[in-house]
Formats: sequence, structure tokens, C-alpha cells
Amino acid sequence: MKKLLIGLSIVALACSTSIFANGASESTTKTEDNSIYVYNSKGENAEQFAAMCAAYEAETGIHVKNFSIGSGQDHMETLRAEMNSNDMPTIFSIQGMKELPEWEQGGFVQDLSKVTTGDFGKMVQAIPEGLRLSSDGMNSYGVPYNVEGYGYIVDKAMLEELFSMDPTADIQAASYDEWANFVTTMTKWIASPSAAKVTLNGKVYTLASQKGPLSKNLTGVFSVMGSEKWTYGDHFINVAVNAVFGSSREAAEATDAQVGELEGAFEVYAKALDLKTSNLAGANGPAQRGQDFVSSAKFGYDQAVQIFAQSKALFLKQGNWAYGNIEGVDADVASRLEFLPVKMPFTAQDVKRTDKDVADLNSSIPVYVPNYFTVNALVSDSKKQMAYDFLYWLNNSETGKDYVINQFNFIPYNADPATTTVPNSLGNSIISYIDTDHTLSAPYNGSPAGWSGDTVGKFVMENYLTKLNWTPADYKTIADYAVSTWQEMN
Amino acid sequence: MIPKPIRLTTIIEGIIMNIYKKWFWPLVAPALILFAAVVLVPFIVGFVNSFLAWRGTYYFNPETNSRATSFFQSFVGLTNYKEAFQDERFMNAFWYTIKYAIVAVISINVVALALAVFLDSISKGAGPFRTIFFLPNMLGGLALGFIWQFIFQIVYTDILFAPDALLHAEFLRYMTQDTTKALFALVILNVWQYAGYMMIIYTAGLNNIPTDFYEAASLDGATAWQKFRKITVPMLMSSFTICLFMVIANSFKLLDQNVALTDGDFNTRMLALQILRTTKDSTPPNYGKAQAQAVIFFVIIAIISIIQVRATSKRELEY
Repeated sequence: MKKLLIGLSIVALACSTSIFANGASESTTKTEDNSIYVYNSKGENAEQFAAMCAAYEAETGIHVKNFSIGSGQDHMETLRAEMNSNDMPTIFSIQGMKELPEWEQGGFVQDLSKVTTGDFGKMVQAIPEGLRLSSDGMNSYGVPYNVEGYGYIVDKAMLEELFSMDPTADIQAASYDEWANFVTTMTKWIASPSAAKVTLNGKVYTLASQKGPLSKNLTGVFSVMGSEKWTYGDHFINVAVNAVFGSSREAAEATDAQVGELEGAFEVYAKALDLKTSNLAGANGPAQRGQDFVSSAKFGYDQAVQIFAQSKALFLKQGNWAYGNIEGVDADVASRLEFLPVKMPFTAQDVKRTDKDVADLNSSIPVYVPNYFTVNALVSDSKKQMAYDFLYWLNNSETGKDYVINQFNFIPYNADPATTTVPNSLGNSIISYIDTDHTLSAPYNGSPAGWSGDTVGKFVMENYLTKLNWTPADYKTIADYAVSTWQEMN
Repeated sequence: MIPKPIRLTTIIEGIIMNIYKKWFWPLVAPALILFAAVVLVPFIVGFVNSFLAWRGTYYFNPETNSRATSFFQSFVGLTNYKEAFQDERFMNAFWYTIKYAIVAVISINVVALALAVFLDSISKGAGPFRTIFFLPNMLGGLALGFIWQFIFQIVYTDILFAPDALLHAEFLRYMTQDTTKALFALVILNVWQYAGYMMIIYTAGLNNIPTDFYEAASLDGATAWQKFRKITVPMLMSSFTICLFMVIANSFKLLDQNVALTDGDFNTRMLALQILRTTKDSTPPNYGKAQAQAVIFFVIIAIISIIQVRATSKRELEY
């Protein structure tokens, strides 16, 4: 009897496993036919992404199974699980150099530079070098998903009220000293307005002698997310990394000695961060560094966006992704936004790269590809071809482009800056920087995993953003720490 | 004459035992299959992986510096374990967790016992109080963490203990921004969450103490404190064992509250969070090392659990 029952349970177990196995093989056979599987590592455009895939199926008859992660979900964990399953994604998106090593070493990513034929081959060859996802300068592993950029976001109407004309071009071109003087003058002006004079790009401007309808709300110059380590740990420091490295590949390949060359740029970073966090706007008046400043309930992402969108701050350092957040608070403000460069007090000695000088760095904004579509190298050749066709369609057909620009609200990597406009002010500001060739890249992505936000950002947050007064020795400590941790983690 | 009721129960017992014997495997099989599928097999796979250069989606061959073609190429022996113990972050998390466990065990049990004794001593309204004290235990760790983050950052810092408030206490402000203070913040959160639960166990223990003991002691002129020391505490020993070890085990496994409250900032990473974040500390992710940490973690929890079972059964024999 006992044996019989053991036998029965083994049969039951076998049955249940065969059900699982059956389920798996069913999905493989399904994808073997006329369909591909696209894994989208962005959660915010999940709905529109599914609609785009449906549109592709309607046009070509090829079924596109698509998966978008949930908002805030860890896209890498989910992607690894999918890669371990029988039904691997044909196309998957990754965050550039930061995530490439894993997929390259595992042999999951197809080298697209080997594809030389057809429309897709031409498209891949035409990806500008600065936007190419390459681990050695020769290979090319991805098609850019979109481009993003960041800088100091400013409300043009606010500037016009302060200057009674549009000074953006001169602020963009201004030197760091002029900028720093403008910032401190503004802090004084906010405390008690006077027709003070500021020099920007050599031109003298006179500030309004009285507060106007927008500027009466100002409580400080900068709205800063003190509790968000990535804003100063990743993005702000990236501007300094740009002084030495031109691309994330250069940063990733850097020797200890080359990393050591960042010392000067990182001191400059600390100085610029000091200026920024010494002229803070708060929700109910001027704010200052201290323990409140790193509290997520007071200076988190949403709080800082709100401070800016309610015209309480002149500048907010963020990217075009923040457009929707600002629009959520005040759609009028959102319609008048523009980017200004993040300026740092670089000297010629700090800048080690030859293709940019101090003036270039201080008049450009970082514009880079945050995500790439990569093709799975482990799927059949026919699948790969289907993936190429899909990616070509997405970036070149009228329908595909319409989805990228109008539904995803993205800036296409291959957009012609002279003719492309997108339906939001910040996107258009980025396009104009691309058009005038005033862009930096995102070499911090080539730094060791966890170095920027989780190491330097954390160090700055825990030890300095909580501290009211900084000394030049602090600049040095921050720079030393940033350089030595990069070298250790390499 | 044998009384009827006993015979009836014997018959029922016999039938039940017969059913149990016959249907033992079919009844146990579903649970066994589930246990094997979601606990046993993954554990064995994980244990094996802790000796390999596992990268999450593939195995790495350290000799050729590329993807391994077989398990054996990826075998690294005890390297992952060595790296785990050499990892400063892992060791910090380990000691921080131990410190937390000590403070938490004392605080939670003192509060839980106090609540239980209090409820035992009042005659009216014990029910609602018991429900209220137990209620926090119904909330998830993440939700609790975020609620308490708000309490610490706003209520403690700006309202209750602010410089212009009545109860100005600087050490209770910015609780989440300092390694030591954050440890106590986490303890406060967990006392709030677990004390009600432990209280139920103590209440059950208190209910099992015969009232004659207290009556006899009163006749002998014992004070309330003497009664507590000499009767309540010894009689509650089995409850103590259960509660102590439940809190220790929970302290080691604590994750959600740690993530939500400080996310490891200001050196507040605990063991579970450390294991979770190890895969983010390098590219490609070192899943083998994370797995080795998980095995060490398992051994710690296993030792605690074995001691718990031993100690509990030893106490039970005494009664």
C-alpha cells in the first residue's frame, strides 16, 4: 500500500513537472514562428510601447510579444530571469556602458557592426560615434533608444521678469565667475530687491528694482534634491568627469593614473556644489545645508520639483524626464522651460581632453543615450533578422517615429535638429543644444559599478550636505575620496 | 465498567489514525512537492552556486576571462566565502545586525511583557487594547518603514522634539541620519510592530499560571514585585524562550524596514540588505559571492533555530 502511494505521488510529481515543461515548450514554439519578443526596461511608457508593438503587427503581420517593467521595478533582475527562461527576449534594452559588461561577457549581445547589409546595416553604420554602444571602439552593440539631457532648468518668463529681456544666450556663454556672481547677487536680490548690475558674457544687465508676479515667489536660487544621491553623485559629477573623459568607454578603460587626472576636476565639482547648495530655495523661505536638507520628506525629488514649479527657485538641475513632473504642478511654467549649462570653475589645467576647453564645458549640457536596444545573440538568425527589421521600422517609419516622439515623448537619436520639434519645451531645448553642437556626454557611466551615486554621492550626502560651512580643505577631501574610491573599485 | 465517553474517543481516535496511516503520503505529498520545488531544490542549487563564479545568467570562467562552457571551469572553491568575509561591507552589516539583535531582543520583550502584564491586571477593556497593540503587526514592513520615516523626519524632528517644542530633545531628532540613532530608530519601529505579537504569546503564558500560586503567596505576605519575580517569571520561561528566539531570528532576517527607513545610508546596511545589494556592487554582478553570503546567513539562522528548538523542548520537559 505504502509503495503504491509513493508510486502514485511520484507519478503526480512527474505529471506536474511535465505540465510546467509543457507550458514552457508551448511558448517556445509560439515564438519560433512569426513573432519576436521585445523586453522594454522602461516602465513609464509601458502602455504606449504595447500600442507601438500592436501597430507594428498591424503593418507587418509579425507578432511582437512585449514586456515592460513596472514603474520602479528593478529592470535588471527581471531581465536576468527572462534570460534564464526558455523564452528569451529577441530584443532587450539596457542602460548602455553601465550594464553592457555583463551581457557582453555572457555572450548575449549581438555585435551589430557585423551587420553591413540592408537598411538596418546602413542605419547601424550611421549611428554617430558619440552615441555608439561600443566596448572597444570597433564593435557596436546597440541601437539608441532615445537621447536625454540635463542642466539647470529655468523658467524663461522668470528671467524676462528679472532682466526685462531674454538673457539666456548670455547666461549660457557666461564664465563661471560671472555665473557665481550672478548667483550670489540673486540671493541678495531675493532678500531685498534692488536694481543691481550683473555681468554675463561681458554684457552688463540691470536687475528689476522690484519683485514681479513670478519673482515675488522666489525663496532661493536653486531647488536641490538633497536626499537624492544620484542628482549630485551621478549627474552633477558627470560634468566634472567630462573634463577628462570624452566617453564612457574611455572612462571604463582608464588606468589609475588617468583616473588620478580627475583630481582637479573633482575639486572644481565640490566648489560648484558648494555654490549651489549655499544658495538654496526652500518651501517656506531660503534653505541651508544641514540635516533637514538630506531628509527625503523635505528635499526629495517631488518636493524639489514642487519648489521649482511654484516659482520659489530660479533653477532646478534636472533632465527632460522631469518635464511631466513639473507639468503636473504647473502646466504654464512647464511650457516656458529651457536648459542652462551646469557651470564649474574649471581652469585649463583641469581639462585633460583635447577636444573641449573650459568655455566649451561651461556652455554645454550633457546629452546622451540612457538606454539602448540590443539584439539577443543567442536566438536564431531568422529571429535576428526580424529584430533588425523591427528596430529599423521603429526608427525610420512614419508610424515608428510618431510613437517615439509623440507617444513616448522622447527625442529620437537620429532626429535632424534643424527640422525636429518635440511636444515639450525641455526636449526642444535639448535639440537646440544638439543643433549648435554644445553637448557633453555621460562618461560617468564608465566608472566602476556603484562608484558615483552609492559611493561618492553617499559620502557627500552623509558628510557634507549636512554641514553648513565648507572650507577649501573639504573640496580637497571630496576630490581625494572620489579619485581614490574609483581607483580602488576599478 | 469503562465509562462510555472514553470508549467513544478511542474508537474515533482509531478511525482517525487509520485514515492518517492510509492517507499519509497523499496528504503530505502536495506540501512536500511545494517544499521541494520552492525551498529544497533552490537551496541546493544555490549552495552549489556559492562555489562557482556565477553571474546570474551565465557561469564565468576566471581562467579565460569569458563565459564558461561547463560548471567545472567555473568552480572557484571557497573564493566566494573568502571574499565575503574580507568584504568590509559584509562584516559591517554582520556586526550591525548583531548589535541590532541585542537591543531589539531586550526592548521588544520588555515592552511585550509589560503590555501582557498590564492587560492581565485590568478587568475591563483588555480585548480592545489587545487588538490595538496587535494591529501594527498586520502592516507590511515596507509600509511601516515609510510611515516611520515620515514620523522620524517630520514628527520627531520638527514637531515633538524641535528646539521650540515643549520636549526639546536633540538626540531624538534626525533619527535616520546617524548609524547609532538609526539603529534605535529601527528598534522603535520594530517594538511598535512586534511587541503586540509577542504580547499575545506572553498573555497565553500568563493565563496558564494557576491563580492558587498568587493566592498562596499573598497569604504569605509576598509583595507584587516578589510575586512577579518568584512566580510569574519562572512560570513564563517557555514563553520567554519562544519570544527571545523569534525576535532574534526576525532581527537577522530584517529587510523591508531597513530598506524603507534608511536604505543602508549612514552605514545602516543589515545582513539581508547587504546580500540583496551585493549583485549591484559590481558589473558583471557577482551572484556567486551573494550566494556565499546567503549560505553564511543560512548557517547563522540555522544555528539560532536549532538552539531555539533545543531550549524550548528542554523547558517543556520540566513541566
